[in-house]
Amino acid sequence: MGITIKDVSKAFGNFPAVKEVNLEIPTGDFVALLGPSGSGKTTLLRLIAGLEGLDSGGIFFNDKDYTYKTIKERNVGFVFQNYALFKHMTIFENVAFGLKVRPRKTRPSKKEIAEKVNELLKLVQLEQLANRYPSQLSGGQRQRIALARALAVEPEVLLLDEPFGALDAKVRQELRHWLREIHQRLNITTIFVTHDQEEALEMADTVVVMNQGKIEQIGSPEEVYQKPANAFVYSFLGRVNEFRDYEGSDAISYIRPHEIALRKFSQGNSILSEVSHIHIIGSTVRIELRRQDTGVLFESEMSIEQYHNLGPVKRGDILFAEFKNIVVFDSISENKKTHEAKMGIRNTLKSKLI
Amino acid sequence: MANKKKRHRVLPGFGLSIGYTLIYLSLMVLIPIAFLFLKASTISLAEFWETVTDERVVASYKLTIYTSFIAALINAVFGTLIAWVLVRYDFYGKRIIDALVDLPFALPTAVAGIALTTIYAPNGWIGKYFEAMGIKVAYTPLGIMVALTFIGLPFVVRSVQPVLHDLDRQYEEAASTLGASGSQIFVKIILPAIFPAILTGFALAFARALGEYGSVVFISGNMPMKTEIVPLLIITKLEQFNYAGAAAIAVVMLVFSFVLLFLINFWQWKTTKKYQMN
Repeated sequence: MGITIKDVSKAFGNFPAVKEVNLEIPTGDFVALLGPSGSGKTTLLRLIAGLEGLDSGGIFFNDKDYTYKTIKERNVGFVFQNYALFKHMTIFENVAFGLKVRPRKTRPSKKEIAEKVNELLKLVQLEQLANRYPSQLSGGQRQRIALARALAVEPEVLLLDEPFGALDAKVRQELRHWLREIHQRLNITTIFVTHDQEEALEMADTVVVMNQGKIEQIGSPEEVYQKPANAFVYSFLGRVNEFRDYEGSDAISYIRPHEIALRKFSQGNSILSEVSHIHIIGSTVRIELRRQDTGVLFESEMSIEQYHNLGPVKRGDILFAEFKNIVVFDSISENKKTHEAKMGIRNTLKSKLI
Repeated sequence: MANKKKRHRVLPGFGLSIGYTLIYLSLMVLIPIAFLFLKASTISLAEFWETVTDERVVASYKLTIYTSFIAALINAVFGTLIAWVLVRYDFYGKRIIDALVDLPFALPTAVAGIALTTIYAPNGWIGKYFEAMGIKVAYTPLGIMVALTFIGLPFVVRSVQPVLHDLDRQYEEAASTLGASGSQIFVKIILPAIFPAILTGFALAFARALGEYGSVVFISGNMPMKTEIVPLLIITKLEQFNYAGAAAIAVVMLVFSFVLLFLINFWQWKTTKKYQMN
């Protein structure tokens, strides 16, 4: 089912959570709503589900006005961040819930319900747990059951709120692949909320970057990463170095750590820098350096092979840094943003560097 | 394999605290009750049997249990309702209503009894309307139920309120996204979560009602065989210096109450246990 969101706004008291958002999601798309906490991404998801009422604007499913339809009428599957499995019901009863609460006319027979539930448990590969209670399951298993339960009502839209937020890194990785597979198999329009840029870039067909209740950019993972619309998107989607022409200057140039090449000899336009720290993280190496000209700290990233090719490096060494892809955003469009917002970006950039 | 290593505790002193608990319970509960049994055993078994199976005594047992049960049931329903209103809605004067709930605890029961009798008497404020419909409230079992409902009100409210307050709204939201209606959400999601608390409140209100004396004696009219409760019979026996007889009646009531509370607690434990392991 295609979803159209038109000029949707929602405020909680005096706090505007979502501000005049417009978004078009084609049928079968796999969309990530990406943004920092407080960016309005979860509120937008809950507005689509009907869990919150909007202040203004409209929500359309397949061009039909769904703005004031009840949660029930929307037929969406919603997976909550903390799974929200019913503690007093077995896994089977949890998955069957959506079918059992149907009015008698449309309710499947007991046998049909059992078949459907078993089929879904098979889909999430947990059929052996049917008679357990949620408290007896691991986080990853609970998440899969929550998805099976949401799919039981055959929703036309699947909404997931930070689906892997509470899981450890390894389980999260597994579930990401698994969710993609399920999406490919069922081809339901799927929207998930995440604050993890890696998750968004890895899983989604379309990434919607949000900040302060507004959409900053909509595009494929490649687009938003390679052609960020503004400084916020650029800095939110990966590690960044920030340089200012002079102290207090508004003109800021950005560069990603992996776009800085280090050499032991001068070549082209390079800057003398002193090594202040070396972090070897598995297959990547991050080197912190201090510019000799301005004294500003920055970070360079390379593969372990490149690091070995560079030759032995230790703290205090002087290297030549070549900045290969400096990005400068139009300062006029930047100025449109509130002063506060800019300060926020700067602070995060700084903390990323230190 | 058994782990012999001592578990680390945040606060030390298990030995001391369990010792204190046992001594405290013995002094406050066990010894007085044991003394009651001792007193009851001063009469012969035949005498004991004769006392507790006396027609008037049996009628009072039935009346006390029946009225207490109905009162606790009424409180379970309306106490849950009050707790719901206090937790889920914000309105002007909410704090005052919240404070009013505890009033039956603070008010001397005799005062409550006299007040209720005045209001529910055939010529009282509320009683006259019931009288017009041909229903007598004061001086009937119905009046006893009114008094017992009054004194048991806070128990259910105060046991359900915190549980309802901590209930995560996500479960209700999840149920609604799965297509459940409001009443289905209440019956299938909310009620199972607060049921153990309702049961606790019910048991407390019921136990309190079984032993209530002060508020009932005024409104009941104390007619033998009709509106005479067990505590009143015990007092009557004591006034006749028949201490052993009073103890005998009390012992039966005590054993009954204990068995009943034990069963309710067991039921509650069973309902809670199955999905709250780990």
